[in-house]
Amino acid sequence: MDGGYPPFRAPVTALDGPAKVTGAARYTFDIAIPGMLHAKVLRSPHPHARIVSIDASQAEALPGVVAVVTGADAVKLPDPYYGVAIRDQPVIAIDKVRYVGDMVASVAAIDEETAYRALTLIDVEYELLPPVTTIVDALADGAPLLFDEPVGGAPTRVGEAAVSLKEPRPNVLYEFGYRNGDAEAVLAASDHVFEDRFVFSRINHFHLEPHVNIAQATRDGIELWSCNQDPFVLRNDIARIFGRPANAVRIHSSFVGGGFGGKSFCKMEPLVVLLAIKAGRPVRLCLSMDEALLTLTKHAAILVLKTGVTADGRLTARHSEIFLDAGAYSDASVTTTIKTGYRIGGPYRWEALESHAYAVRTTMVPAGSFRGFGGTQASFAGESQIDMIARRLGIDPVDFRRKNLLTREEPFQPGDSAIDSDLPSVLDEVAARIGYNKRPAPPPRPKRRGWGLAIGLKDGGGTGNHSLALVKVLTTGHAIVHAATVEIGQGATTALCRIAAETLGLPLDWVRYGDIDTEHTPLNNGTHVSCATAVTGLAIERAAQDARRQIMEFAAAQLDCAPDELVLENWTVRRGNYFHPIDKLIGDYFGGAGTEFLGRGSVKIEYDPKAPIASPAMFWIPCWVGAEVEVDTETGKVEVTRLVAAADSGTSINPLACRGQVEGAVLQAYGQSLFEELRYDGANPANATPLSYRVPLASDLPRHFEGFVVEHGGPGPFGAKGIGEAGMLGVAAAIANAIDDAVGARLTEIPFTPERVLAAIEAKG
Amino acid sequence: MSAIDISLTVNGRAHRLSVAPWRVLADVLREELYLTGCKIGCDQAVCGACTVLVDDIPVTACTTFAFELDGKAVTTIEGLAEGETLHPIQRAFLEYGAFQCGFCTPGMVLSVKALLARHPDPDEALIRSWLSANICRCTGYQMIIEAAQAAAKAGAA
Repeated sequence: MDGGYPPFRAPVTALDGPAKVTGAARYTFDIAIPGMLHAKVLRSPHPHARIVSIDASQAEALPGVVAVVTGADAVKLPDPYYGVAIRDQPVIAIDKVRYVGDMVASVAAIDEETAYRALTLIDVEYELLPPVTTIVDALADGAPLLFDEPVGGAPTRVGEAAVSLKEPRPNVLYEFGYRNGDAEAVLAASDHVFEDRFVFSRINHFHLEPHVNIAQATRDGIELWSCNQDPFVLRNDIARIFGRPANAVRIHSSFVGGGFGGKSFCKMEPLVVLLAIKAGRPVRLCLSMDEALLTLTKHAAILVLKTGVTADGRLTARHSEIFLDAGAYSDASVTTTIKTGYRIGGPYRWEALESHAYAVRTTMVPAGSFRGFGGTQASFAGESQIDMIARRLGIDPVDFRRKNLLTREEPFQPGDSAIDSDLPSVLDEVAARIGYNKRPAPPPRPKRRGWGLAIGLKDGGGTGNHSLALVKVLTTGHAIVHAATVEIGQGATTALCRIAAETLGLPLDWVRYGDIDTEHTPLNNGTHVSCATAVTGLAIERAAQDARRQIMEFAAAQLDCAPDELVLENWTVRRGNYFHPIDKLIGDYFGGAGTEFLGRGSVKIEYDPKAPIASPAMFWIPCWVGAEVEVDTETGKVEVTRLVAAADSGTSINPLACRGQVEGAVLQAYGQSLFEELRYDGANPANATPLSYRVPLASDLPRHFEGFVVEHGGPGPFGAKGIGEAGMLGVAAAIANAIDDAVGARLTEIPFTPERVLAAIEAKG
Repeated sequence: MSAIDISLTVNGRAHRLSVAPWRVLADVLREELYLTGCKIGCDQAVCGACTVLVDDIPVTACTTFAFELDGKAVTTIEGLAEGETLHPIQRAFLEYGAFQCGFCTPGMVLSVKALLARHPDPDEALIRSWLSANICRCTGYQMIIEAAQAAAKAGAA
């Protein structure tokens, strides 16, 4: 939009900032409902077992216990299963447990201590079944089956060039396939073909606010105060599971204390509702962090990439086989599989691309949404292999990328939208900032120094996404923005209010972001896929434009002129040299309580069967990463001495928050690259407790750490696009590439622990 | 076991409380004094979200027994601003965008306060070391470090 850019260069103070720095910000964690009980969950100690019997009579008899819920209660529900597209996860275990941590029984009592004590009185008899701990084991002939029967739900829609299959073979939850051209034929005709295998690890979201929900169920309906990122998705799931119309289910959202995907979609919320129904009182369930570690993870994965290249360094085709460890239940595995399979080509030009991606069931913690899902797995493998090929061919990895990168206006794949960032120029900038071309003297032995780069890329805004918004402008010109994007730390409150304020010509602090309540707030698909600013923000811009049009028509009618004779400034309309305060016009006409202008806006990304994954990407999210490392060749320890990442926000609506999003995501990916991992010892979690699960601390920061934002334009309001997931992409590959540059050895499995680094150095001899 | 009577000040205000011997400071602050700015993340003294100052020393309120507080002075995040006027560290956090979800922020702000009380002009290494008692999963720490440096420069100690 012309003239829309300059105001956003000025930094703003976040609207939610004062509440957050003073401790006044209210999270679901802080909410109490009169008369509420407290719940605790009994979890399976076994990875795979049939539940023979549950005796909860002693727990029920314990003074202070009000209700105990087991699978016997769940099975009576109209539809006791949830999951995204494919629904296989019961509200609470019905016949089997499928991982260590699966929910078996739950108690609501007068306080948490009593609920805990009651759990110890529940007697569960299990018939043990063999666990399935790895992707390879799950796919082996005769492997134990997690599910004996087909489960509910349906595969997600995809475009004509793709296939989408529910439960195609034993222990495979979902299969995605994509084909553009004849990859096998192109590979056969290529001068070189390289096949490499990559292993991606499992990490937890480790959001600091626990999963917390309070449910209340009355004859009139179900009410839920929830930390969930997706209030409307949750509302619809609760309505379906309990057989209630959606207008009898009401979800309230507050500030969310971190989510990163861990609080997306339905999880333990229906269990809390079931407890509240059985207890006849409000029930609060607040999981411990140990339990959060057993609730959801990022997908571990094995990716096998076969890539062709000409003698002069032009990429030809890529064929990929991708196996994602979905864990025990579906959760968001279907979409993660689609996104991994589709994004595996990365930001490059291909004659042909073919990929097959599978979500594989194992008896591990369910895997689901995690910031940038699919993109993180694909970019690690893809950007590692690009570097490996360049080094094998003796071409500088930056030159090799430049030669093959998609240019602006080239579609990602046929039928999809065009790349909307200038990929080569920022690659050069990041390379310069890590000193790629000005390499200092090598460090003293046994240390070796190296430099690596990577460009992660994912589609942004969500496939076929949709958002509604309402902007309410009051008599005094103060406004309330109503939309269902949850403030999860991404800065949505400020950015979305700023979009409305700029559109209406109002000061930012005149605009408030309304509390989210599914009874009053307009719907969206949830807080995902970096869509808040671009998708919901666009709906808000349209709602504000609608309100503005109504305001101008009202003022014009009062002043007996045409709307285009008027200029709106600071809640005054100017006609020629005459200024008319709008609140006075409203007072004169409406009297009483004045009025409100209700502006409505909506956005829908249209489905298109010609688009490979059912709709073209609204925008593209690249992340350019550069790493300088020092590798100790005696200990195998990798120190990242410089880490620089850039992302494209389009127009930065809130520049400070954009930088924070990039750096925050990069540090998550950095931790996963070097040390963070949810480890298993056979079928049992080995470090599912905050005491032993290690996330990055300030002392783990690279010596030099920098995130920066470029503005190449976008389709959102004022030329914005989304940026929240960007920093997850490409970090692991950039570090692996730098290690290779330093010691000539390649790490294809994350995290890059000293043991693995030493093994790689020894393997190359 | 019977309850223990304690006297303490919280944010300058005197309180006399009767606490169960197993009750921790975080629960007393949140549930009896309604100071919900003290957040509980891990509940195991790992994440630092519950950090408060006891006689100006940072402690994890989730693992500090309430009875230990007899005769002590506790400062929580609610005790920093004076009316509408924010403490310089809070202002620096706002200005430098040193928070995202905000759940770790009260503990972070109090850790910076404790740091600057002892080291009014800390270098970056010292800030990194002190702030390693507090996990932030959102920001990547760099903007918090910049806020701490700015607060130090502004003489927040």
